[in-house]
Amino acid sequence: MFGRIFLRELSASRARLALALLVVVSGAAVVSALLNVQLDIDSKLAQTFRVFGANVVVTPPAKSSGQALLPDSAWSRVAAREGADRRIAAAAPFLYLVAHVKSDGASAPATIPVIVAGTDFPRVRAMNSWWKVEGRWPASANEALVGSAVARKLGLAPGAKFHMRYGSAEREFTASGVVVTGGSEDNQIFTGLAAAQRLAGLDAQISLVQLSVAGSAAEIRAEMSDLSAAIPAARVRPIPEFTTGEARLARKIRLLVGATVALILALTVLGVLASMAALATERRHHVGVMKAIGGPARRIIRLFLAEVGLLAVAGTLAGCGLGFPLSSWISERAFGSGASPDWIVVPLVAALMFGAALAGALPLRLLGRVRPAVILRGEGWSL
Amino acid sequence: MFFRILLESVARNPRRKLLASAVLVLASAVAAAALTVALDEGNRLAREFQSFGANIQVTPQTDTLPVEIGGLDTRPVTEGSYLPESDLPKLKQIFWRNNIKGFAPFLDVPVTVASSSAALSSTLVGTWYRHAVPVAGEPSIITGVEATSPWWRVRGAWFTPGSISECLVGSALAARLGVEPGSSLRVGEGSRRATLRVSGILKAGGSEDRAIVTSLALAQQIAGRPGEYRSLMVTAFTKPEDAFGRENPRQMTPAEYERWYCSPYAASIAAQVQQALPGSSAQVVRRVAESEGSILNRVSSLFWLITLGALAAATLGIAAMAASSVMERRAEVALMKALGAPSGLLAWIFLAEQLAVAIVGGAVGFGIGTLLARALGRLVFGVASTPQLILLPVVLAIAAAVVALGSLVPLRRMSRLDPAPVLRGE
Repeated sequence: MFGRIFLRELSASRARLALALLVVVSGAAVVSALLNVQLDIDSKLAQTFRVFGANVVVTPPAKSSGQALLPDSAWSRVAAREGADRRIAAAAPFLYLVAHVKSDGASAPATIPVIVAGTDFPRVRAMNSWWKVEGRWPASANEALVGSAVARKLGLAPGAKFHMRYGSAEREFTASGVVVTGGSEDNQIFTGLAAAQRLAGLDAQISLVQLSVAGSAAEIRAEMSDLSAAIPAARVRPIPEFTTGEARLARKIRLLVGATVALILALTVLGVLASMAALATERRHHVGVMKAIGGPARRIIRLFLAEVGLLAVAGTLAGCGLGFPLSSWISERAFGSGASPDWIVVPLVAALMFGAALAGALPLRLLGRVRPAVILRGEGWSL
Repeated sequence: MFFRILLESVARNPRRKLLASAVLVLASAVAAAALTVALDEGNRLAREFQSFGANIQVTPQTDTLPVEIGGLDTRPVTEGSYLPESDLPKLKQIFWRNNIKGFAPFLDVPVTVASSSAALSSTLVGTWYRHAVPVAGEPSIITGVEATSPWWRVRGAWFTPGSISECLVGSALAARLGVEPGSSLRVGEGSRRATLRVSGILKAGGSEDRAIVTSLALAQQIAGRPGEYRSLMVTAFTKPEDAFGRENPRQMTPAEYERWYCSPYAASIAAQVQQALPGSSAQVVRRVAESEGSILNRVSSLFWLITLGALAAATLGIAAMAASSVMERRAEVALMKALGAPSGLLAWIFLAEQLAVAIVGGAVGFGIGTLLARALGRLVFGVASTPQLILLPVVLAIAAAVVALGSLVPLRRMSRLDPAPVLRGE
């Protein structure tokens, strides 16, 4: 009996139900999409912030005299962690030395001292997206990347040859490109790590390792203590303008997105509530008829609850079906990588929608007080 | 007659109208709040990027290459060129002066340092902490590393601005020298020598941790370079680079150049700084400027997409509401039709009624949304966001258009309605 009345009810108010469903589905779609984006925002921001490049350095312990160096093994340990640890977004070794550089060009100026950095080019390129290279990145061992100020001083253009001397060792390099960063890199020359080690006669030694670590302030600290434990001979320290700056910025963005999402969520849920309330008020007529022919108030209320439940469940399922692709699309457009569905969103949205639909139907609480005669006479326009 | 029917309809069923308006108000509030935040958020977030340090670096144009070991300039004071400190107030006269948040000149001097327990060679970094810079016709401004390097932490106290007898000691150097706030140090030798009181220990996380940081005046005195500095760090609010900002200003037409010059790109502010300081070369610190652009673009596209999603839901909600409020009045329509009202007039009455609700609801919603966005701005940035009045017509237009569209389908069905069965209650 209940089922039959329920089905009849549903088919009798098809159009109205379709509208209610539209409201619930669109509300659920937006709520689920925004919740999914919000739950994923931390990892997306952590990824995004890696455009800043290195935020942690591994250096040798301070030494009273001479250049402090780290053994190559320090770098190989970092490199080994890099593959296994998702927190390390990029890392690169550096060996610094001061070499005397002379251009091979005809009108070449005198020899000048320049800081030479031996490094791993593919890794530096992955880590420092802001480096602007005119020409191309070095591809072979005797090619170098020349800082823009050095290039200006020595009159070097991409393709030019120059000599570098360190102690008694001297080698010829080709400038494959000129790098502009606006920072100290403009005053340096970059070569492959092995070439710099050979020039300096420092086999298997490096000056420092730069790392780009993704994650919250706490995650970065955890990574730093893991690194200290893995390389006890070295000091691991943050680059504070980036670690603290990133944490500050992440907090602001997270708060901004969170507050906006909460606002939209609250207003959307209230909107669903109001729509349901409007729909519920219209049901007075049916209730009046049912009561007139002796339907108990409890059954009427159960009928309505079943309807609301069906709406909420169907709306949530369809809404999440639309919302998850929507959130993935938003992430893809904003951050370049999609968001996978977080299933906790589904029960949350279902609860919100059911709550909103039910609260919207609260006017029906007054159903028990509906006087059929008044309704059936067509009087009492307002409840 | 038309208006009487309209008024009657609102007056007769205020509760239903109230609910329909509530949906409209809420949806418009969502639209207005999301749009206000999306319009404003980029500018405000851009200010947060100051904490990453200076985005423009100025050096002498004809300088020798600095040989910076671990970030400290180790050139002897006799080598390379300098810039005059007296030109610095000109930075507050350039076109984008209000975008210049702060600046700090630096003079690195290689020195020997001796405490009671150790002596070693180090670098003395002269700079401003809170320096008063006179500006013509305006009150002088206070600037220095406090603005350009906000992450520096000092245990003890900063050196007194302008003092030539106090200094900060970098934490690594302090450990090696065995000094604490209150200790005294001898720096320099021969005629260029000073005894300094350590006012605090500096933790900068960079090369300054191995140096002595003190007032520019003292560094000038020890270097024998009165009124000069070696490099200048400038923190400016900039507009993230877009395609136009990346073009080479030398290849622009005069009109384009003017537009570029009058946009606060880091590159155009750097060009103006370079013009204001004769003999200088100003470079954009790409690590900060490029990253800022990329992050701001991503966050602002995230906001626009969130806004788009919210607008879509609001639109559907309004459309559904409009449709249902037309549908529920079948009996009324049937009665009017039976009394001979033409379908066209009926449609107009309903449409006018819906539009009136849309305009009122949209306006109230705009007000609520703006207030909510203000509260949100205060919560996140500490300053309420400015109301975007331009959004009022946008929100009203969206509300009206969506209501009209949502009403169209049921109105068409109504024009074909046969009154007799409806009135019989079938």
